[in-house]
Amino acid sequence: MRIGVDRKRCEGYGMCEKAAPELFELDQAGELIVKYEGREIPAEYEEAGREAVRVCPVAALFVEKES
Amino acid sequence: MTTAIGRGAPRFEVDLFSDEILTDPYPTYARFRAAGPVVWLPVTGAYALSRYEDVRAGLGDHETFISGRGVGLTDEGNATRKGVIIASDNPLHDQLRAVLAERLSPRAMQALRGEIAEKADAFVAEVVRRGSFDAITDLAQAFPLTVVADLIGLPDHDKHRLLEWADAGFNLWGPRNERMLRSLEKWTELTSYITTQATREKLKPGSMGAAIYEAADRGMITHDQCPQLLISYLVAGVDTTINGIGNAIWFFGMHPDQWEAVRSDASLIPSAFEEVLRMEAPLQLVRRYCVRDVEIGGTPVPKDSNVLMIYASANRDERKWKDPDRFDVRRNPVDHLSFGYGLHGCAGQALARLEAHAILQGLVKRVRRFRVGTPVRRLNNVMRGLERLPVDVEL
Repeated sequence: MRIGVDRKRCEGYGMCEKAAPELFELDQAGELIVKYEGREIPAEYEEAGREAVRVCPVAALFVEKES
Repeated sequence: MTTAIGRGAPRFEVDLFSDEILTDPYPTYARFRAAGPVVWLPVTGAYALSRYEDVRAGLGDHETFISGRGVGLTDEGNATRKGVIIASDNPLHDQLRAVLAERLSPRAMQALRGEIAEKADAFVAEVVRRGSFDAITDLAQAFPLTVVADLIGLPDHDKHRLLEWADAGFNLWGPRNERMLRSLEKWTELTSYITTQATREKLKPGSMGAAIYEAADRGMITHDQCPQLLISYLVAGVDTTINGIGNAIWFFGMHPDQWEAVRSDASLIPSAFEEVLRMEAPLQLVRRYCVRDVEIGGTPVPKDSNVLMIYASANRDERKWKDPDRFDVRRNPVDHLSFGYGLHGCAGQALARLEAHAILQGLVKRVRRFRVGTPVRRLNNVMRGLERLPVDVEL
C-alpha cells in the first residue's frame, strides 16, 4: 500500500503522527515528514496507515495505491 | 433522470429549527439515523444525513455537495456571506484558506502556546477565586473573547459586541424563521462595523487582522476580499470555542467522576475535550447543495437539492461509537465531526484546542469539583450552547 499526501492541504495537525508514528512525523517546524513517500509501506504498518488517513481532519492524506 | 425531490427517502414532518427540537435535538437525530441513511424534511425542504459514515463521506465529496451556493437554507441568509471561505468552492476556497492557514495552522499556533497558557492560567486563577461564578459569561465567553479580539487586533472595548454578531451569523444559516429574520438586521451592524470602524488602520500591527490586509498587498487575495475574511475570523472564532469550553464545564459538573479522572491524570485533557466536542457539537449541522443526481445507501438524492450534514448526529451514531450517549473522557474520539471534515474542516481547530486545553489545565490545577446549577440554554438555528450556567467550585 502507498499513502499519498496533498501538501497544499496539510496544515500540520499531527493526527497522523499519533495514529502511525512509524509512517509520519512532524519536524521541529511542524512540517510533515512522510517516511515512505512514493514507496510501499511495510505490511505491518498498513492498518496504522489507514487509521492515519482516516483521522486527518482536512483529508490531506489518501491511499494512493492499495496493497 | 432526476428523481422527484423527497421521493424514496423516509419523510419526517418535523421542524428541526423549532424551539422544542433545538432544546433537545438528540431524540430526533436518533429517529433519523434509525430510519435510513437519508431522510427528507419537507418542512425545511432539505434532505438530511445523520449517520457518521454518510456525513463524513458527504463532507469528503465537496464536488457533489458544494458550499459555493451557501451553507445556509435561505437565499437572504446566503447573500450575507457571498464569497466567504466557508461558502466557497475551489479554487476560491484554497486561495482564501491559505491566508488564514498562515496564521491559524498548528505550525503557526506553536508560537502562541506559551502566551495563551499563561493568560489562561492567570484568568482561571482570578475567576475560581470567587468560589461562585457563571461558567458561561465569566469564563467560557470572557476568555476566548479576549484572546480573539487580541489576535485579530480589534480594540478591546469592541469585543463584547462579537457575541451577538456571531450568534446572528449562525442564525442566518437556518430557515426563514424568526431567529433568522431578526439576525438579518443584526448582521448589518457587523458589516457596518467592519467597513467603518474596524478598518485596516484600526487593527493592531502584527495581528491576524492586519495580516489579512498584508496578504492582499502581496497579491494572495484582493483587497475587496479582506472584510469578509475578517468577518470569518470574528464569527467563527468566538461562539464555537465558547460553547466548547462552556459545555466542558457543564459536563464535568454533571459527571464528577469524569472530572476526577482528568484531575488525577491531566494528560487526559486533550481526549476529554474531544469527547465534549463529540457529545455536543457546537455547530450542529451545515447545509450543502447537491449538484448531481446521487444515491446514498440506495436512496436517491437528486441534483439541486439541499442536504443537511448533521455533525451532532454523526457524533452520536451507534454504528460508529460504542455507547454513544455516554460521556467518557478516555474515549479520545479524534475523528468526531464537530470541526467538520475535509476541504472545509475547521481552519481554527488548533486555536480552539489551544484555548480549551489551556483553560482546562488551569482548572485541573485548582478545582476539585464543580457544582453546577440549572443551565439556561441559548437557542440558535445551528449553534448549540448555553447562555448561563451557575457554578460553585470546591477548591
